[in-house]
Amino acid sequence: MSTLALDIITTGMILFAVASGLMIILGVMKLINFAHGAFLTVGGYTAYLTTEAGISPWLSAPLAGIFGFVCGLVIERIIVRPLYDRPLDAILATWGLGIVIGQVITLAFGRGVQFAESPLSGTLDFGAIEYSSYRIAVTLIAFGLAVALTALLYLTRFGLNARAVIMNETLARGLGIDSAQVRALTFGLGAGLACAAGALITPLLSVDPNMGLPWLVNSFMLVLVSGVSIPSLLIASLVLGGAQVVVSTFVSPIIGGLTIVVLAALVLRINPKGLSIG
Amino acid sequence: MKWNLLAVGAVCAGMIAGQAIAQEPIKIGIPVGLSGANSVVAPSVVQSSELAAEEINAAGGILGRPIELVIADDGSGAQGAQRAFDSLVFQSEVDVLISMETSAARNAGLPIVNRGRTPYIYTSFYEGRSCSPWMYVNAWVPEQQVAPIVDHFMAEFDSKTFYLIGSDYAFGRGMLEFTRSYVEANGGTVLGEDYLPMDGSDWTAVISNLKSANPDALITSTAGGAPNVTLTKQLRAAGVDIPYGNLAVDEGTAKSMGADATGIYIAASYITGIESPENAAFLAAMADKFGDDLETPNDLSVPQYEAVYLYKAAVEMAGSTDPDAVIEALGKVSFTGPRGTLTMNKQRHTPLTMYLGQVTEDGTVEVIESFANVDPGEQCPQFAE
Repeated sequence: MSTLALDIITTGMILFAVASGLMIILGVMKLINFAHGAFLTVGGYTAYLTTEAGISPWLSAPLAGIFGFVCGLVIERIIVRPLYDRPLDAILATWGLGIVIGQVITLAFGRGVQFAESPLSGTLDFGAIEYSSYRIAVTLIAFGLAVALTALLYLTRFGLNARAVIMNETLARGLGIDSAQVRALTFGLGAGLACAAGALITPLLSVDPNMGLPWLVNSFMLVLVSGVSIPSLLIASLVLGGAQVVVSTFVSPIIGGLTIVVLAALVLRINPKGLSIG
Repeated sequence: MKWNLLAVGAVCAGMIAGQAIAQEPIKIGIPVGLSGANSVVAPSVVQSSELAAEEINAAGGILGRPIELVIADDGSGAQGAQRAFDSLVFQSEVDVLISMETSAARNAGLPIVNRGRTPYIYTSFYEGRSCSPWMYVNAWVPEQQVAPIVDHFMAEFDSKTFYLIGSDYAFGRGMLEFTRSYVEANGGTVLGEDYLPMDGSDWTAVISNLKSANPDALITSTAGGAPNVTLTKQLRAAGVDIPYGNLAVDEGTAKSMGADATGIYIAASYITGIESPENAAFLAAMADKFGDDLETPNDLSVPQYEAVYLYKAAVEMAGSTDPDAVIEALGKVSFTGPRGTLTMNKQRHTPLTMYLGQVTEDGTVEVIESFANVDPGEQCPQFAE
């Protein structure tokens, strides 16, 4: 029974880590970044290269985050910024970008499966049950991430500007906030978070050119349900991720794979504001 | 004067070569998954076909005619296979199809093979019971692969309860369905059977179910590549250390998985460590031809190599490439290759020597036991001899 509780908490927190980058970009830029899955994949390959270079696997997520942030800034300048006035085209552009990144990775590394070292192996004992120690570690890191992101949004100048842009971009610009800069930094931050999350989940997965794809759909649904707020994303991840675990455990893992999508659609049908608070 | 002689020599050489080329080549069609799920293994299949063709051509071809390979991408699926088979059979008008493909691609191609009346040798292991008057199979089916692992677990570890995990597709379900009936027929119990979609990567709930069922042994049959790797990593991370038989892992994947793969049991008809002069010669020729670009030969690429030679033997026995005569001969001829001496004489399938191996700490596969001439069982009773 307590294994189930741990499964729910760890799954929810992993989903939160994976979806947070998508949410930040959606909030500030009103842009659904369909390249999110590809960014996760890039993070996975960064972890793989970190292992290859013989660097401690604990550093793979921070390195992936930095790499993603820089790439995000470049991509924002070249691809996203010229399309600010055409939001639908911008979404299509990120979709295309995802395909391009996927193909570039395939060309560079081949279609095969690669491996990244795990910083932690083995299990932790919780009295009667033992549980994967890396999942526990990821859960703690994801929780730290939630705290750090909240602090960034509520305790810093950048956060204040970002929240102003989220609430009313025209007004924020009128008050002298450089919204273009906020957007650029946000896209970089979102991309960096996605890459770091990709590197973080890699020890549980294989590194291959499509590794990010299954996560894109679930992240998208979670963000739709949660709206732009870190606490509500946390709640949405735990509730929907928990439902996925429960259905997978007691009904069938195949139906479990559909749970998040179906539940998200139901939640939005009943309450268009989803689970958003604040 | 000297130069004149040289010129005459050159002309003569040209004429001899010209005569050899003038013989119409025998076309071998190879529909294979260059893109899609099989794209990881397809290059090794193409390489072993190329080696077979080169060796046969260097030794004078088949009945004096050279071999020409026509390779087509089947996209690893049904749609691509229809296009590939169609163009190979009706446009390139190949004499034979020899290929390692997914079950979906094979099933989509068979009606075209039947319509075009083209002999077809299928060289991929698969879930069994696919029958066509034009098809032969020289790779293993569940009857040949599952038994060594289950028998070993029952005899060696006294395993009575089993748990089965797989990917949700024809091969995954077919293999585990057979495993379940085999385990139950031998007095064991299957405590649970769980599947995840092919692109699924989160095995959390499956593993928790496995742990709470607490079986003696685990047998998995996922899609090759990513699902296999994610499942194995998550199993190890969750501390699962019961005997673990993996029906879908190959040597290459096991090697790159590192420590996580250690201890996994596999059963295969080919592993690189087979000690025979034929295998040694084959591995040396592959290394010589492809050098640094060599894809490690495996249980999917070696049957492809042998199938080209089986076709050669059949054409020589039939005396022509006439489809009916070749199909008749394919069930009779033998070839001794890296996997031993093969004859596709059991209801269009092939008795094979199977190897039970265990992945060691350095990633190589150690052969624990070999089982000579394992029978494929009742596959296509309508073609019983």
